[in-house]
Amino acid sequence: MNHPIAALEIKRLTASYSSKPVLWDVDATFPAGRMSAIVGPNGAGKSTLLKACLGLVPVDAGQVTIDGRPAKSALDRVAYVPQRDAVDWDFPITVGEVVEMGRYPSVGWLRRVRKEDRRIVAECLERVGMSAFAHRQIGQLSGGQRQRVFIARALAQQAPLLLMDEPFAGVDARTEVALLELLGGLRDEGRSIVVVHHDLGTVRSFFDWALLLNVRTIAQGPVGETIVAEQLRRAYGATAAAETSDDELEELAWAR
Amino acid sequence: MGPLIDLWPLSYTDSVVATGALLLGVVAGVLGTFAVLRGRSLVGDALAHAALPGVCVAFLVTGAKDPATLLAGAACAGIVGAFMMVGIERSTRIKPDAAIGVVLSVFFSLGIVLLTAIAAGDNANQAGLERYLFGQAAGLVEADVNLMAILAAGSLGLVLALFRPLKMTLFDAGYAGATGLPVRALELAMTGFLVVAVVIGLRTVGAILMVAMLVTPAVAARQFVARLAHLLPLAGAVGAFVGVTGALASSRAEVPTGPVIVLVGFTVVLLSVLLAPGRGVAWRAGRLRRERRRALVDGVLLDLEIASHGGPPPTREELALASGRPERTLRRGVGVLHGRGWVKDEGGHLVLTAPGAAAAHELVARREEWSAWLEHGWKLRLPDAREPDPRDVRGSLGAEAADRLAAFRAEATA
Repeated sequence: MNHPIAALEIKRLTASYSSKPVLWDVDATFPAGRMSAIVGPNGAGKSTLLKACLGLVPVDAGQVTIDGRPAKSALDRVAYVPQRDAVDWDFPITVGEVVEMGRYPSVGWLRRVRKEDRRIVAECLERVGMSAFAHRQIGQLSGGQRQRVFIARALAQQAPLLLMDEPFAGVDARTEVALLELLGGLRDEGRSIVVVHHDLGTVRSFFDWALLLNVRTIAQGPVGETIVAEQLRRAYGATAAAETSDDELEELAWAR
Repeated sequence: MGPLIDLWPLSYTDSVVATGALLLGVVAGVLGTFAVLRGRSLVGDALAHAALPGVCVAFLVTGAKDPATLLAGAACAGIVGAFMMVGIERSTRIKPDAAIGVVLSVFFSLGIVLLTAIAAGDNANQAGLERYLFGQAAGLVEADVNLMAILAAGSLGLVLALFRPLKMTLFDAGYAGATGLPVRALELAMTGFLVVAVVIGLRTVGAILMVAMLVTPAVAARQFVARLAHLLPLAGAVGAFVGVTGALASSRAEVPTGPVIVLVGFTVVLLSVLLAPGRGVAWRAGRLRRERRRALVDGVLLDLEIASHGGPPPTREELALASGRPERTLRRGVGVLHGRGWVKDEGGHLVLTAPGAAAAHELVARREEWSAWLEHGWKLRLPDAREPDPRDVRGSLGAEAADRLAAFRAEATA
């Protein structure tokens, strides 16, 4: 790795609901300036891992560092894109206001939003192709447009690390391609991107690095070395019997 | 509150009542909005019921009946009730609605038992405590109104100061937490708002029906505005209207205030839910009717166009059979086409006129453009997130994009 400090480093993280561990002794490193995917079967703890990194769910043990600093004191370095169904889309708020939220942490909670912040909001809307929608109520948007708004809000934070939870679930193909290219552009600007993802096809063609997760770390490293039949069988377990071919495995992951 | 009281064109007593109801309406409307948006309206109901035993205990302990003491008791009981609900929700597997039901009924029963015991006792001072059940605006004096004003100013000031964090927590608690906001504390503050609103309204509206004052303004106002920054003041205004109207009407008619306020509030909600532009029931029903009619007319036109290619012009019966539409529905569709001069009747056979045929061709072309978008739209690589209107792909995406879609389609069929 050229970059000495990882964008996100997770050490021996364990988290559980009731007594069943959802994450068990997870070690993971996500390199800076790369596009990384967290891949694994349903119930593997992918979303929980992101939330645990941000302190949104209680953890039993483990350390998380962002840019070499404890995660708790480095939240200003992270922009989080939650799952779309986490919010009420009938909420009385416009597209522009949602994106403006991304500026609040740096503007402060009381001070007026400055001209400079408005420019950043407009720029982020432009980047995700939503400029024409700034004054719309969010309930009037399609699924793909909603995801674009969420990403614009994260962009508005101008944080070097983006954590995204299933941004392409239920999104049309056109939006998925547009957003993947957008993320690629952000990576080329030097930002680090970590995405919980379920589509092995696009992991191979768009991502640099992958963490294969199923409660514990199965494998991690450059995509070409991680997303391989042998490791996928270990992650996806019984659903992928030993004789399953690569193609069938890929189909399996697509079907999710 | 002297100056505000003097502003009303009413007698002094009525002015005091009106001022109190105004403050109560604004505060309950604004603070109740947070509960409604969180889907926690019933927490407000439970807290109002929970306040009743607090009033009784405060009376038993101090023997005094001054509102400040009794409302302090109400606040304490409300806070205990709130913590019980949150505690049950977080530490057991009981669902929130069940926790609300338990807290509401237990506290209210306790309140009724205490109220009965106090009434049976020989304390001459006790008359009037039962007003806290259904509320009575008529008894308000200037001291009560002053207390309400202080609480109102404090809580509304807090809403103003915390507006951004509250908005973020309400809309997306996960994201708010990830930016480092103390989400749990803010959620607790929103529950605290309900306690304040209940304390302000308890004496006027009563424990049983206080929830109406918290919920109706937000529900009515939401029909008209689509931004939180507009919703809060509008809900406050609706609350003020409902409160003042209800309180004055009830004190004139000498009936408890709570029920009158609920009826006024219900009227406002009914009208706004029915008639509001965009979100109202009437509006949406009208839009649905127009959509259906349009789909029918387009469908019949398309059927006629297809039939006219397949042979001699069809009769109504043949067309009904071919399209699978019930005859009555079909007749309605044909009637509209007749009215537009797109179809004429030649000895029982339906024939498209020249403008009718032109309209049918245009419809077919538009449908083809839409299916081309569905199949090939992703190849266009549009620079932004626009999505076409299914009925008018060319108009909504522009001629250039529509031409490219047509080219993709031609390429695919070749």
